[in-house]
Amino acid sequence: MLTVNNLVKSFNSTTAVNNLSFSVGSGKVFGLLGPNGAGKTTTIRTILNIIKPTSGEVRFDGKPITYEYYNVIGYLPEERGLYKRSRVLDVLVYFASLKNIKKKEAVQLSDSWLNRLNISDLREKRIEQLSKGNQQKIQLIAAIIHNPRLLILDEPFTGFDPINQKEVKDLILSFLWEGKTIILSTHQMDLAEKLCEEILLINNGSEVCFGKLSEIKKRFGGNNVRIGFTGNGNTLNKFTEILKYEIYSNYTDIQLKNEIKPEEFLKKLITNVEINHFSVIEPTLDKIFIDIIKENYNQ
Amino acid sequence: MNKFLSIARWEFIEKVKTKTFIISLILTPLLIISFAILPTILFDRETPGMEVIGVADTSGIYFTQLNEQLKKYVLPNGNGKYLLINLTYNNKNLEEVKNIANQKVLDNLLDGYLIIQTATDDSIIAEYRSDILANFEIVARLEEVINSIQIEKLLKSKGVESNIISKIQNKTIISQKKIEEEGRISDLDFMTTFFLSIVFILLLMMLVIYSGQLLVRSMIEEKSSRLIEMLVSSCTPEELLTGKILGLSLLGLTQMIIWALIGLGLVGSSLVPLHAFKNVLPMLIYFVLGFLFYTTLFVGIGSIVNTEQQAQQITTYLSLILMLPVMIAMPVIQNPDFIVAKIFSYIPFTIPAIMVLRLNVQYVSELEIIMTILILILSIFILIQICAKIFRIGILSYGNRLSLKEIFRWMREK
Repeated sequence: MLTVNNLVKSFNSTTAVNNLSFSVGSGKVFGLLGPNGAGKTTTIRTILNIIKPTSGEVRFDGKPITYEYYNVIGYLPEERGLYKRSRVLDVLVYFASLKNIKKKEAVQLSDSWLNRLNISDLREKRIEQLSKGNQQKIQLIAAIIHNPRLLILDEPFTGFDPINQKEVKDLILSFLWEGKTIILSTHQMDLAEKLCEEILLINNGSEVCFGKLSEIKKRFGGNNVRIGFTGNGNTLNKFTEILKYEIYSNYTDIQLKNEIKPEEFLKKLITNVEINHFSVIEPTLDKIFIDIIKENYNQ
Repeated sequence: MNKFLSIARWEFIEKVKTKTFIISLILTPLLIISFAILPTILFDRETPGMEVIGVADTSGIYFTQLNEQLKKYVLPNGNGKYLLINLTYNNKNLEEVKNIANQKVLDNLLDGYLIIQTATDDSIIAEYRSDILANFEIVARLEEVINSIQIEKLLKSKGVESNIISKIQNKTIISQKKIEEEGRISDLDFMTTFFLSIVFILLLMMLVIYSGQLLVRSMIEEKSSRLIEMLVSSCTPEELLTGKILGLSLLGLTQMIIWALIGLGLVGSSLVPLHAFKNVLPMLIYFVLGFLFYTTLFVGIGSIVNTEQQAQQITTYLSLILMLPVMIAMPVIQNPDFIVAKIFSYIPFTIPAIMVLRLNVQYVSELEIIMTILILILSIFILIQICAKIFRIGILSYGNRLSLKEIFRWMREK
């Protein structure tokens, strides 16, 4: 269980993290979301005790994160890179040794991970000989080789093709069943949506939205339908039931006023335009993200 | 295993394996040896080939004697070193002779020529002309011959016997010896002392610059790839700093041992005399401490830079500081009690190099040795404290160039 209480970090006059509080239980993925420069990385660094908070506290299993926890924390930073001229196995054994794992065990662990990610043939290669995706896999292994209890992943999916993205996603899910506590920071809302139970959306260092994903969807979801119709999009303007709509090439997403029932709107719609598709939809996290941040900037 | 040991091991092994390390291992001693030995060889050697020297002698009495006395200098093949040509035989006046001779020098027919003019009181005005200025050897020899001719002439006119004259002309050569502790006498000459000290300083300098650059480059790699964040989420910055300094020192030590073996090989081949290594213990202490001092400085400063260009700049500045002792080496050797030398003996940056120089050229009291070593150790400790603070924040700052003001703020931060 990771608890963050009233975390504040300021540099000179700027406040990078402004009074954040949240907690993550074991076996849960917590989504730390926000636009670029929102303060995600600073928050992560403060949690990891790489930088000291101005005020507030971070506790893991009830105790502050200090030296003794270094060996149970795994961290994958946002930007990637490894010792380019070194061998894959050497790099993995080195990172394991920094988590106090003996060489013999580290070699075994490296081999089993390389096997699991289907790259055991890269064992003796130099990092610079590897493709970008494979380098990322090696770095991921370096972050998790010591079987950490708290795992912080900053943009773990960037640079992977869809097949590898799925592989990483499955890996994260398997960690959940092992009871790890995971913090995931990403811009890829579709993946966050699939993995996170709770999310914290921050902007300019402050919380803008926090809670269970399902509740957030209810709260910000509104009343949405997707239709396909033939004819001019302008015809939609005359419906007073519509709050706003967005026209795409194959369909149109419509947000209805809260009191309007979708089936009643459909009845009215059929009499006016030729409909070939109608469905009630949940808003994507992506859309909620954009809406909230836009609103936040307008305030 | 302790984490800083893992870091030291990694830094050491990954750098030992690089091509640049292996190349520098061989190249550096080669360079230094050629630096140290070449000038000695060149200094002692006669310039090969015969030199043609013109003599414009208005009195007409010196040419024969000059010609006679210069015959003692011979080339390795047994021929005379100097061929003298009398320029005054064809009854031209001195100005004309000079003009012709100037042209002959420029046409490389003459290496140079000597003008001898007698004044009314029988003293001589002599001038040597050539197309280069560095004629130390020939000018010294001509002066010697003319002086002895003058003395002989004077003594003869006073009726002194010729065997007495030749006794008077015997030159006394003073040899220089340095007094060592317990009154022993060192038989090292100036050149050996000078070049040994310079070799030592150059070794320290190359070692520091070389390993410093390796370190800074690897830190830039770690910073730009954010690897440093994975490292400091696994260990404390202090462990990382200690590990890096230790690994780098091991690297330096490896190089030193290999170079020492090469040095021993040279002693074996008697290119360098064994007694040159008499002050070896204090010299080694200064070397190791100096290396530690500069390595710590490099680690601290290396944590601030973000790009190769910045790294280049900073290594250049540091190299200049390292070069300082080489620049004042000459005055220190000539006069070790020189006040500037004394001052530099107590400044941590220059202690190692200057003290090694002074150890070699004068008797340095044990008190002074112990004091400077203590100053060096103390400043290493202080430097580690300061650098640890800079390092802790520096490794996580990826911004633009940092201002000094900001760095001072980091030092004060707890």
